[in-house]
Amino acid sequence: MSLAEFLSGLNSVFGIALPMVLFSVLSAVIVILLFAMPLGGMCTYFERKVAADFQERIGPNRVGPIGLFQFFADGIKMILKEDTITKNADRFIFNFAPSLVLAGSLGAFALVPFGKYVIGADLDIGIFYAMALGSLVSLGILLGAWSSDNKWSLLGGMRAAAQIVSYEIPLGIAVLSVITVSGTLSMQGIVSTQAWPVANAVDGGHFWNVFHNPFLMINFLIYFIAALAECNRTPFDLPEAESELVSGFNTEFSGMRFGLYALGEFADVILFACIATAIFLGGWHLPFINFDTLDLGLRVGDTDLTPLFQTILMASVFLAKVAVLVFVVMWIRWTLPRLRVDQLMDLCWKYMIPIGFVNLLGCAVWVWVFKGKSMIQVAGQLLGVY
Amino acid sequence: MQLVDFFTLLFMLMGVVSAVLVAFHPNVLYAAVALVFSLLSVAGLYGVLGADFLAAVQLIIYVGGIIVVILFAIMMSENIYRARFRDAAGKFVIPTAVAALLIAGFLKLFHDAKLETRAGLNAIPTTEQMGRALVGPYALVFQYVAIVLLAGLIGAVVVARPHHGNPESEAEKK
Repeated sequence: MSLAEFLSGLNSVFGIALPMVLFSVLSAVIVILLFAMPLGGMCTYFERKVAADFQERIGPNRVGPIGLFQFFADGIKMILKEDTITKNADRFIFNFAPSLVLAGSLGAFALVPFGKYVIGADLDIGIFYAMALGSLVSLGILLGAWSSDNKWSLLGGMRAAAQIVSYEIPLGIAVLSVITVSGTLSMQGIVSTQAWPVANAVDGGHFWNVFHNPFLMINFLIYFIAALAECNRTPFDLPEAESELVSGFNTEFSGMRFGLYALGEFADVILFACIATAIFLGGWHLPFINFDTLDLGLRVGDTDLTPLFQTILMASVFLAKVAVLVFVVMWIRWTLPRLRVDQLMDLCWKYMIPIGFVNLLGCAVWVWVFKGKSMIQVAGQLLGVY
Repeated sequence: MQLVDFFTLLFMLMGVVSAVLVAFHPNVLYAAVALVFSLLSVAGLYGVLGADFLAAVQLIIYVGGIIVVILFAIMMSENIYRARFRDAAGKFVIPTAVAALLIAGFLKLFHDAKLETRAGLNAIPTTEQMGRALVGPYALVFQYVAIVLLAGLIGAVVVARPHHGNPESEAEKK
């Protein structure tokens, strides 16, 4: 599906003709209110709980049972807070920069395949489009930092932009090595090749891309490290290094404007976890079972409920993998110290990019030698299973 | 009117308005921000015309790369608010003449060329054909472009490396 096709198909939703303006407003509201806000909010809660566990504290426990409603309290506080703007700030850019960050993160969620039937837009250029939208984030951070007329902000913004632009390269190389294996850019296409291999090659795939070949396994680590840097998460949180820059690029932002930056960061983390799940960890696919061909035989009257149950299973598996990855990100945050700027650039340019390129070449050679078969398929063939 | 047509018009309007802003806004930074929207609208036009890959490339290279570099340059320079394009007043005769010539040339080109309207385009994905073309018939040209980039990279390394015999950079090394 191309972008133009997708737009042509938008004239009606579920058979109901909607005015296009209403539709675009509605979809944005749905994505933000029903998905990003609750998920980002839950993330802040879990982040604090995880941090508390690591530091042998209790963490938030006052609002609601075991503190579960803490993020509602945080959100209300954000909205009620006084909204301050520095005197010499560039007001127009100051007001509009935070929304760029959120737009970059949330726009890419349309490409995340939560299940076989649950995806915003299965574009033909899927993964590439998701990465392209990410470029808005660095722009939003840089503009917001500059407009607040604060040297800490400016330094933080510069660091953020330099970091994001540099780490996009290893990230792109890692994604490219997946594409050499899958042969498609479409998210659904990439996920569907990762099914558990079965005897008839039509239904089966080559299992998760991480286990496709040893090179791809290393490139998954490259992807993960680069994604951490793209989200400005520890150990790459130099743009907001508290000990050096107060709060970095968002120092001068208060109230919900700061909230948008914070939400954008969490949305970014979740987005990268979603993409990692979809392209490396097999999306909703599990070993030994294929939900696509699973028939539970559940029927109400004449209606076949199988697609519904398939969707529920797929989405749960997908989100479970995402949750594990997000937990790892938090785990790393409370374990590792921050890198220095020169170490950051060394890691990117002197280690990750060369290693990534070697592995990309390795992937290409593997696909050529084994005709696109994964380690498991090759082993299965040797053992005579398939 | 179809939704696609609406978006086409929207992107066209956005492109023209932001391009005018780029040319005439007195503040350099605002001109750069307007340039972002101008490039975004071009990406949008590629999108509605069925050139998805080009749209994403436009975003990733121009918005993610070039604009960030331009903003870096602007933000690192002092007194952005004082630097006005109007400082170059009186130097607009030659640029205007060149621009007018360019516009005339393009109009002639578009008039002569048999351009397909959107109805004539089939909006099927072009990414796969493009990939095959790049590693097939155009592989040599593709590699040739890569050499240009390599030369740029080597140039950057040469500029950035410490100069031998220069006492300042020798001291830096120690």
